[in-house]
Amino acid sequence: MAYIISDEAQDLLNDLKKFCDQEVVEQAKEFDKSGEFPKEIYDKAIEQGYTTLEVPEEYGGPGLSRVDVAALIEQMAWADAGFATTISASGLGTKPVLIAGNDDQKKHVCDLLLGGGFGAFALTEPGAGSDPGSGTTTAVKDGDSYVLNGRKCFITNGGVASFYCVTALTDKEAGAKGMSIFLVDRDTPGLSVGHEEDKMGIRLSNTTDVVLEDVRVPAENLLGKEGEGFKIAMKTLDQARAWMGVVSTGLAQRAMDEAIAYTKERKQFGKPVLKFQAMQFKIADMAIKIEASRQMNAYALNLMDMGKPHSREAAIAKCFASDAAMWCTTEAVQMFGGYGYSREYPVEKLMRDAKIFQIFEGTNEVQRIVTANNTIGRF
Amino acid sequence: MNILVCIKQVPDDSVEVSMGKDGKPEIDGITPVVNAFDTYALEMATRLKESLNDGSEITALCVGPESAKNSLKNCLAVGADHAYLVNDESIDDIDSIGIAEVLKNAVEKLAEEKGKFDLIFTGKEATDAALGQTGIYLAAKLGTAVITNIIDVKVEDGSIEAKHETEEGYRVIEAAMPAVLTVTKPEYDPRYPTIKNKMAARRKQIDEMNISELSALDEITAKIKKAAEYEPPKRSAGIKIKEESDEESALKAIQMMVEAKVL
Repeated sequence: MAYIISDEAQDLLNDLKKFCDQEVVEQAKEFDKSGEFPKEIYDKAIEQGYTTLEVPEEYGGPGLSRVDVAALIEQMAWADAGFATTISASGLGTKPVLIAGNDDQKKHVCDLLLGGGFGAFALTEPGAGSDPGSGTTTAVKDGDSYVLNGRKCFITNGGVASFYCVTALTDKEAGAKGMSIFLVDRDTPGLSVGHEEDKMGIRLSNTTDVVLEDVRVPAENLLGKEGEGFKIAMKTLDQARAWMGVVSTGLAQRAMDEAIAYTKERKQFGKPVLKFQAMQFKIADMAIKIEASRQMNAYALNLMDMGKPHSREAAIAKCFASDAAMWCTTEAVQMFGGYGYSREYPVEKLMRDAKIFQIFEGTNEVQRIVTANNTIGRF
Repeated sequence: MNILVCIKQVPDDSVEVSMGKDGKPEIDGITPVVNAFDTYALEMATRLKESLNDGSEITALCVGPESAKNSLKNCLAVGADHAYLVNDESIDDIDSIGIAEVLKNAVEKLAEEKGKFDLIFTGKEATDAALGQTGIYLAAKLGTAVITNIIDVKVEDGSIEAKHETEEGYRVIEAAMPAVLTVTKPEYDPRYPTIKNKMAARRKQIDEMNISELSALDEITAKIKKAAEYEPPKRSAGIKIKEESDEESALKAIQMMVEAKVL
């Protein structure tokens, strides 16, 4: 039960699979060890247009449906979850502009993406994770400009982005209602890249602090209106969450494929261990979770394409798919036995890669809060 | 320059093929792709076109089933400017010499419309049957020069200079145009189709030519009959020697060969 996609997307998927098999899968192993950002892989992906899948057609993008794009992102995640995360996080960084930006702002970021750039969403701060409203970054109006000061952390693509959508308080007293979002280009004086995280997994993606010291941006870089930042950020996350479900599903699928291939070959008690029902049931449970994840992702993405509310469905998809990815990768390690724990085999990396999907873009505890609130309603 | 690239659609050669109960290879579920050697031919032609940068055009031509239109669209995404299909679904069996006859007639018909082709590229062989004959037959039928197994080509003063690969290295061969070139694996890989080119290619028209209008069917029906098909014998895994040092590995290998009375 793969995604039901257009012939056009299927054709692109065949090309992408070949690209990933030849340019990503093997190469990812070394970059996972070194933690170095694999610029050469991304340069090739940029040349192919794989970093612009979410650019709307009117701004020069391919004009695919979200489910079409999901099938492609899943294939990238199958090859390497960090690779898919970089590309998907660039989409995350673009979403505030597509949600609340004007035509000039949209054209600006889409041109940057089409020119080979990445985007980044700078919301999280050292003291503001699951509670983004408690951020302390400020934006003070000064004539025709805003001056931003603060420190953002755990910013995916922080060190490689061409532009950032930065949340900052324009009214410190108003809390979340005083938050605004600004479009900040990489080369803006005062913006610098801080500490780079040495992560447990998704090591082909770049995660850094982004430091803002008297960063002056023109007033027209404000997205929407002053005070709309929190609302725009939440809408951004509502959309982005389903994409993390998509990446998680690719990762889980890879774990299942690796587990099947290994247990067909590995013999104990005179036969391949996959002949034992204990192994077969694990595969069945993986397949059930993967297929359920995929359909949940597709449903949330279809709602987005239709312009319908999707907060609850996106939270459910992200939560379920990332829990499924963690479970499937852990079980894949189990099915490999001692070899699963060895770095010479592929599945321990998948397990390390999976963990972050239960944490970022809203922890799964937050997803459960969103799901509960949207299910129970006010009472 | 007017360039033609002849391509064949084959089952994806990265998929392992097994024999069916009817004694024929089971290829129905395997994705059809452009023959790998033909992708090298198209890449070489495209690089030549780009280096000349003089408005040269590439036409891709395929004799194959309706589904080969998809393969031709892939060619349009990686360098070909035009694409033609000669649908051969009405013919039960056709061999290399028959294909070459159809290609010759198609080349002559296309020449009426587009002018004569200066160079005709094709893969040295197809990855399905691996016969390696079509390009040579085509050159013979057209009465042109043919250089086989080439890994590079240059055009200078109206003639060509190609590197023909041999087991020891390569020979540089010059020829006048028009000429047929059969291509083997060069030092580079074919480019991937970009999303933009792929989507533009999908919207382009693939023109069809009628095989029965090009050639009399009895002339091109296979003269060679396949008696049977066999699976190649499975190769054994071999012995891996991995001693502490290279010297020790070499000594171990020699010792094993002595024991096996090979040395």
